Amino acid sequence: MNDNSEQQKVLTVSEITKSIKRTLEGRADFNAIWVKGEIFNLTLHSSGHIYFSLRDDDAVIAAVFFRSANRNLDFKLKEGISVLVLGNITVYEKRGSYQINVSMMKPEGVGDLQKRIELLKLKLVKEGLFDPAKKRPIPFLPRRLGVATSPTGAAVRDIIKVALRRYPNMEIVIAPAIVQGADAPVSIARAIEELNRPEYGVDCIIAGRGGGSFEDLMPFNEEIVVRAFFDSRVPIISAVGHQIDHPLCDDAADLAAPTPSAAAELAVPEKKELKEELEYYRLRINTAMASIMERLDTRIANVTRLRIFRDPYEIVNRAEQLLADMSARILMCLREKVAENRRRLLIIPDIRLLIKNRLDNKLHSFVMALKALEQLSPLGVLQRGYAVPLDETGAVVRSVRDVDVGEFLKVLMQDGSLECSVDRIKPGGYHGKEKRG
Amino acid sequence: MEKKKGGKGGPEKPVKIGFEKALKELEEIATRLEEGDISLDESIRQFEKGVQLARFCRERLDEAERKIEILQKGEGGRVKRKKVDVEEDTGEITNEDDLQGSLL
Repeated sequence: MNDNSEQQKVLTVSEITKSIKRTLEGRADFNAIWVKGEIFNLTLHSSGHIYFSLRDDDAVIAAVFFRSANRNLDFKLKEGISVLVLGNITVYEKRGSYQINVSMMKPEGVGDLQKRIELLKLKLVKEGLFDPAKKRPIPFLPRRLGVATSPTGAAVRDIIKVALRRYPNMEIVIAPAIVQGADAPVSIARAIEELNRPEYGVDCIIAGRGGGSFEDLMPFNEEIVVRAFFDSRVPIISAVGHQIDHPLCDDAADLAAPTPSAAAELAVPEKKELKEELEYYRLRINTAMASIMERLDTRIANVTRLRIFRDPYEIVNRAEQLLADMSARILMCLREKVAENRRRLLIIPDIRLLIKNRLDNKLHSFVMALKALEQLSPLGVLQRGYAVPLDETGAVVRSVRDVDVGEFLKVLMQDGSLECSVDRIKPGGYHGKEKRG
Repeated sequence: MEKKKGGKGGPEKPVKIGFEKALKELEEIATRLEEGDISLDESIRQFEKGVQLARFCRERLDEAERKIEILQKGEGGRVKRKKVDVEEDTGEITNEDDLQGSLL
């Protein structure tokens, strides 16, 4: 309908756009074409569609890789990598832009920029710039925070906002830096270096910038910047871009934060929490000490509760009482004994009489014993009329057989003796009994 | 009774101790006192030290003065500090009109 016309025809935006669309999308050599380029401005949309641009040294083309098409993608898309895409050129009327609608994508080796970065990385790794052993701890509570970034960017705002929210009286020194473009690397390095001067009293540095395209973040992959991070004598946190970005300065810094806000959170403690923690320990110490004192108090109370401390006189009084009781009892006992013994003494009327009685008794017994003895004595026997014959040697003659006729015998009588000679011997018992027959 | 004389006897000042270490020590003191198997003398010493450390920490927390400065190149290339105001909610520097964007 818009055939050539001599008259100057006025087209609406929609009309011309439609025309362009038809022209571009209708060309055979814009359909099912392979295009080679380096990915940048990669956006992985939550819908599953992937938006990015392809570029080479001189040109850029937008690209869209819809979810239905990218489902079979078998490698990880990254900023800076070179890819081959198969697709059609389409026009997006609403934005008046053209793009390549990708139906298939293949990796094409690492992009040039990426290759440069990889080479630099290898070199710096060899030099030891990324050595984890060289990383210093970030101070627990910085005295003054240094920030190397653009004074007008989102990063500085985020850092200030987060730092002051966490620690309202934090001191911050900002070293302004250009964070993208040709001057950025030198500017960033200069800012970091400046913050290292001792006169500022900075003991923790955050250097970085907010999110941007791969190219925007490129300065933080530059050797001079990476070295500035490594050379910083003050502990330094890199804070570049978003979570997915990982520039080389991250590896050279003492700590890599995913974003500037996160860097501020890592660098600045929450003052309220510290105060609470402090208060908590103070409370624990006070409580513990109080309970120690209380235990001590109880011990003292237990001791003082003893009667000796409560009423020392009572004990003395009691002892005194006891003593008095005892002495009274002793006295009483003594008195009793004396009286009893005296009484016992008085009961004996006359000791001499007693002795005489005893002697009389004994004498009587003696006389009786003598009498008994007399009965048994041979003299007694003689008195009763018996005589005892003795031979010449004075031995008692017990048998007639011990005597010969004509032998002299002495016969003891009660009142003297007879000297006799034996005329005749008649054996035999004199009572008619003869023992020895 | 009076044993303030002679540096040794008195409670030592946590001069060069860092905040983190002081905080950690405070916790240790709290634990030690809570466990309670130290002598009374030692308890009192620990308590005194705890009081000192707590004071040190509190002072350290409050000693900084909210101050945001930006470095600017002055005449002859000398870098000077310039105090700036910030909007607390947004972190925005409010008097940034004539600020240099770099030290180059």
